[in-house]
Amino acid sequence: MESVELAAPGGDLSIWALFWQAGWVVKLVMIGLLGASIWSWAIIIDKVLSYARMRVALNRFEQVFWSGQSLEELYRSLSDRKTTGMGSIFVAAMREWKKSFEKGARSPLGLQTRIDKAMELALTREMERLESRLGFLASVGSSAPFIGLFGTVVGIMTSFQAIAGSKSTNLAVVAPGIAEALLATAIGLLAAIPAVIAYNKLTADAGKLASRMEGFADEFSAILSRQIDEKVAPKTRVEEYA
Amino acid sequence: MRAGLASSVTLHVVLLGFGLASLSAPSAFEVADVEALPVDIVPVGDITQVQQGEKNAPVAPRPAPKPTQRQDPVENAQKVGEADTDLKPPPTPEAKPKPVEQASEPPPSPKPQPTPVEKPVEKPQEAKAEDVPVPAAEREPQAQPRQEMKPDPAPEPMVAENTEGESVKLPPAAPLPQSRPQPPKPQIAKAPERKQAEKPAAEQKQASKETKDSEVLDQVAALLNKEKASGGGAKRSTEEAALGASQTTSGNTLSQSEMDALKAQVQRCWNVPAGALDAENLRVSVKFKLDPSGAIEGRPEVIEGGGGSGVARAAAESARRAILQCAPYNLPAEKYSAWADVIMDFNPKDMF
Repeated sequence: MESVELAAPGGDLSIWALFWQAGWVVKLVMIGLLGASIWSWAIIIDKVLSYARMRVALNRFEQVFWSGQSLEELYRSLSDRKTTGMGSIFVAAMREWKKSFEKGARSPLGLQTRIDKAMELALTREMERLESRLGFLASVGSSAPFIGLFGTVVGIMTSFQAIAGSKSTNLAVVAPGIAEALLATAIGLLAAIPAVIAYNKLTADAGKLASRMEGFADEFSAILSRQIDEKVAPKTRVEEYA
Repeated sequence: MRAGLASSVTLHVVLLGFGLASLSAPSAFEVADVEALPVDIVPVGDITQVQQGEKNAPVAPRPAPKPTQRQDPVENAQKVGEADTDLKPPPTPEAKPKPVEQASEPPPSPKPQPTPVEKPVEKPQEAKAEDVPVPAAEREPQAQPRQEMKPDPAPEPMVAENTEGESVKLPPAAPLPQSRPQPPKPQIAKAPERKQAEKPAAEQKQASKETKDSEVLDQVAALLNKEKASGGGAKRSTEEAALGASQTTSGNTLSQSEMDALKAQVQRCWNVPAGALDAENLRVSVKFKLDPSGAIEGRPEVIEGGGGSGVARAAAESARRAILQCAPYNLPAEKYSAWADVIMDFNPKDMF
């Protein structure tokens, strides 16, 4: 008598059991998606914290900068410290200013250009640091559902092959394989949804911070250009009268 | 970054642990045991073709022999009968003796016949014995013993000699046994009881005046009061009405399914005129005759539609062609009277 071995219907259908029953491709997909989810959450947490810190630092620096304190003193207090955001832009600009005057540069136009370049460079470096790893979130958000779908398709394929082998279309035979295959899509969506939401939120926050820093850089550039004018113009007038 | 990674890992571990603990196997759906639903396919004829009867009567194993009606017994009905009102019985015509005579005539005749038949046969044979000896040779032995038996006193030679004279005399003698007086006796014996009773009563009156008049009158009165079978009474049936509808629809009418079958047979061959502008309004009625084999008799006649535009005429033609093309039709032969004449409606609306 021929006996047909059927997958135990109504057996353990917990998530863990479904994972262990899955084929190796589906397992690999699930593990990968789980790793992506862990990493994207790590990025999200890190970015949220660092942006909050950055916001606090910007506020404090602006407070100090506009308090009427001497720029020389501010530079001296900041130059020997590790600075972020506006602080690093300020330090870069001041360093360029100092170098130019120490070496006795006489061209106000060149000095202005150099200071702008230095501030731009500092701003770019800051933005790079702020927006680093956001790309990963975008990738996870867009590709995780597809990866999960791939796992599901492979799982359903293998489960249909198994159903064909069992020669029974009973729902109790068909259902477990499909359920375990769908688990891959579920994990994919679980990873993708927070990644997409966080990516949109974090890019918007980074944009706000960047515009704040750009605004400060422009203002500081205007202040320095006025300073240059004040320092260079009298000399030229003296030279004219002398 | 390290803080973010650490917190992310712990978050996932906590989430997975929670999932494993609480989101383990979902509880299986509760499936109620559903009783198998028996489905009978009932021919529509049982509904459309019913006998008259009572709608809420129990189903009897056999149908009523004739369509029974709901009993509405007339109260205080004096007579028994089938009519709706209690009528007095119409005067039943007195049974005349004539029909009885006719009925009783045959029996008496066979009894007297044997004797007269024998005699005339015998005697002509004897008479012709001399004239035609060859055919009589066989019969003579049979006839002779009887002749010897009967006319012992009468001399045989005499009969043989006077053949011609006796042959003339005998015929009058033959009808004698058939004389009418005899039949009346069985007549009386077979007459109905009441006539029997009346007649004896009358005879008694006439014959013997010794019986008292009062006795006779009583007898007559008793006889006169006897109920005679007659129509006119109200319904007083005690039998329960059988299951049925308010009127009998059975018989030769086609059931709905049989009509549909005929329609389907025609529709098979019907090519709806394509490209008609308002195909919904192209209704055509065609009348045709069928012979018992289901073949078309005569020519299908368009009785409605088909006039006017060319499309309508084409539709009528196509309907006629369909009827001719699909003949003969397979229909129940026992209901021929129902489908001998058919009027069929063709409506392209039903085809789309």
